[in-house]
This record gives sequence, structure tokens and C-alpha cells, in this order.
Amino acid sequence: MLAEAFKFPEINAILRWQDIFTSFNKIALIAVAAAVIGIVVFLLAGNKDAKVAPKGVRNLAETTVEFIEDGIVMQTMGKSGLGWTPFLLSLFIFIYLCNVPGIIPILQMPATARMAIPMFLALLVWVVYNGVGFKHQGIKYLTHTIWPPGVPVALKPLVGVIEFISNIIVRPFSLTVRLFANMLAGHILLVTFALLTQSLITAETQQLLLKPMAILPFFMLVFLTAFEVLVAFLQAYIFTILTAVYIGGAAHPEH
Amino acid sequence: MLTVVNHLQGLASRLATEAGVEAGEGPGPIVPELKELYWGAGSFIVFALLMRFYLFPRLKQGMDARYAGIRADHEQADAARAAARAEVADYEAQLAAVKAEAAAKVDAARQALEAERQEQVKALNAQLAERRAAAQAETEAAKAAVRDQIHAAVADVAGRAGELATGRRPDATVVARVVNEVMAR
Repeated sequence: MLAEAFKFPEINAILRWQDIFTSFNKIALIAVAAAVIGIVVFLLAGNKDAKVAPKGVRNLAETTVEFIEDGIVMQTMGKSGLGWTPFLLSLFIFIYLCNVPGIIPILQMPATARMAIPMFLALLVWVVYNGVGFKHQGIKYLTHTIWPPGVPVALKPLVGVIEFISNIIVRPFSLTVRLFANMLAGHILLVTFALLTQSLITAETQQLLLKPMAILPFFMLVFLTAFEVLVAFLQAYIFTILTAVYIGGAAHPEH
Repeated sequence: MLTVVNHLQGLASRLATEAGVEAGEGPGPIVPELKELYWGAGSFIVFALLMRFYLFPRLKQGMDARYAGIRADHEQADAARAAARAEVADYEAQLAAVKAEAAAKVDAARQALEAERQEQVKALNAQLAERRAAAQAETEAAKAAVRDQIHAAVADVAGRAGELATGRRPDATVVARVVNEVMAR
């Protein structure tokens, strides 16, 4: 009886949306909006007077740039990695703006809680860091990747297999799943507590205690919404910093 | 409780209908959908390219120009501070030289004054000694004159007394010697 009472809707019911027009759904809308918002913010920021102390939209854009440069690039790649700032900046902003709609009323769906966008971004990062590796080290990139310096000859076959699987196969997979699963889990939690709250409030029951009990899932809903604000930022940061680490490692294996 | 169960089931199916899908419809939740893939990929690629070739360089150029301006201002301020410090050091050196010169002059003046004072004291002392000697000589002369007068008077009185007593005048040299002896006691 209790299990039936908490029966959850089919997963596709909370993840898939009716197409807005042919081949364009809510996820596509969020992705396009994320890109457009990023472009507009940086366009507006670029139009402001650069000579005076930045404020408003320019301050926001400059703070983000400095966060990526000082907090990610300099920490993981050093000064030589500053050329990657635009790519990492785009990645961070795009992922963050795709994550945040999970807590925006009406939208209430992170675009990264669907597999497509995290998978595309992870594959792009995979192509980029392998490309950087081959560009900087040539064919030696493969040997450096699967045999880190100092590995005893006897262990090379074993380490080679482990490192190949870890660096070449698991990395894009882990990047994808980390982002996708975290955002999906957050979305499902929010839906769960929202449904529970609504059900308790609107339940037609003789038990008087049931309706006031709706305050409990409601508090959880508020707490998790606040938590998702942090998760949205954190997941964008983690994806970006890992990308920087992978690119830095491919460009300078000695580090 | 049954009403709650019915309510939840109704809510779930309504949610699914509003979402435009029937429960269980569509690919699994971990299967990427093509339309989401190409819209997401397209959006990101456009954003990243614009960021790489237009948005970021424009913003960064402004940031770099402002930071360069701030750095230049800092350098200018540092130079002004160094110049001010040099001026202060120069002023302090000049002040020390002037103070040393003033102290030397004061010292020399003090020495000159001391020498002059000593000279004047010496001259005054000499003058005083001279005057004291003159006064002493004058006093001695007056004393001698008074003594001579007394001597003469006493000798005269003694001579007259002797004459009155003996009827003849005693020898003046004897009287003078006796008077001398008496006065010398």
C-alpha cells in the first residue's frame, strides 16, 4: 500500500518534453538560450567603457574571465595555458547556463540532465585534449599516455592497459556521466519533493494530520533548490577544471 | 490512504500528458536524442567560436588596456614616491649640513666670546690690582705722613715736657729715638 502511495511517474514523463516545433524541444531551447545569453552578456560587456572601473554586466563578464584565468587556467596549466581561456570560458558559461534552468520556475529542467549535451561536450573535450597531445608530442603522446615516466618495464603491459582504458576510454565517459547524473539526480529529487508536497496538500483524506505534514517535503524542496544552485555552479566548475587538467596534461606530460 | 494513492497516480499521468509524452514513451533517459545533440552542439560551437574570435579578445583587450593603465599609474606613483623620498633625503642632508655649520658657528662664537670674556676679566683684574696697589701705596703714604706728624708732635711735646722739667731742651735726636722706640711697641 505504501509503495503504491509513493509510486513515481515514469522517468520519461519528467525528462522528455513536447516539441516546441519540429526537432526543437525544451532542451534545445535551453541550449540555444544559454549560448544567446552568453553572447549577449559578453557583447554588452564589450560595449562598456573599458577604461573605467567595471560595473554591472562588464563586471560580471570580467569576474568570470578572471575566475577562469586565475582559478582554473593558472592553477592547472600555468601561464602557457592562457590561450585556452576562451574555450574554457565558453565551456564553463555554457554548462552553467544549461544547469541553472533546473531551478528556474517554468523552465525547471537542466539541459544537462539529458545525455546529449554532456556527451557532446565530453567528446569535444576528448578530441581537443588528444589533439593537443598529438600536436605537442607527436606520436610519443600515445606512449606517454599509456606509460607514465618511471614505470618499471615488467609492469608496462599491465599499466599500459590500465592507463589506456583510464585516459582514452573512461575520461569522456566519466566526464559525461558526472555531469549528466548529478543534474539528473538533482532534477529527480526536486520533482519528488514537489510531487510529495502537492500530493499531501491536495489529498482527499479524513486524516487531518496529513495536510500539515506537507511542510516537511516542502522544506526539503526549498533546501534542495538552494543546494541545486551550488550544484549547478560546482558541476560547471568541475567539468571545466578537468578539461583544463586533461589539456594541460596532454600539452605538458612532464607536469 | 487509497485516495492519496489515486491522487498520486492521477498526478503522474497528468504530468506525463502535460509533458507531451505517454508514460514509457521515447528512448531511455540515458540515450542521447539527436535533436538535443545537434541543437546543443550547434549552440555551443557558435558560442565558443564567437567567444574565441570576437567576444573574448574584445573584452580582454579592454581589460589589458585598463590593467596596463593601472600598472603605468602605479609605476608613475612609485617613481613620484622615489623622487619625493630622494628630495626628502636631499633636504635632510642639506638640513644636517646647515645644522652642522650653525653648530660650528655657534661654537666658534662661543669660543670667541669666552676668549674675550677671559681677556676682559684679565684686564679688569689687572686694573683692579693696579688700583688696589695705588690705593695701598696712598694709604701707606697717608699712614706714614700721619705717623710722621704724630712723631713730630709727640717729639715736640716730649721735648717741651723735658725742657719744662729740666730747664733745657733735650737733644732732638734722643727725643726722636725715644719716641720711635715708644711708638714701635
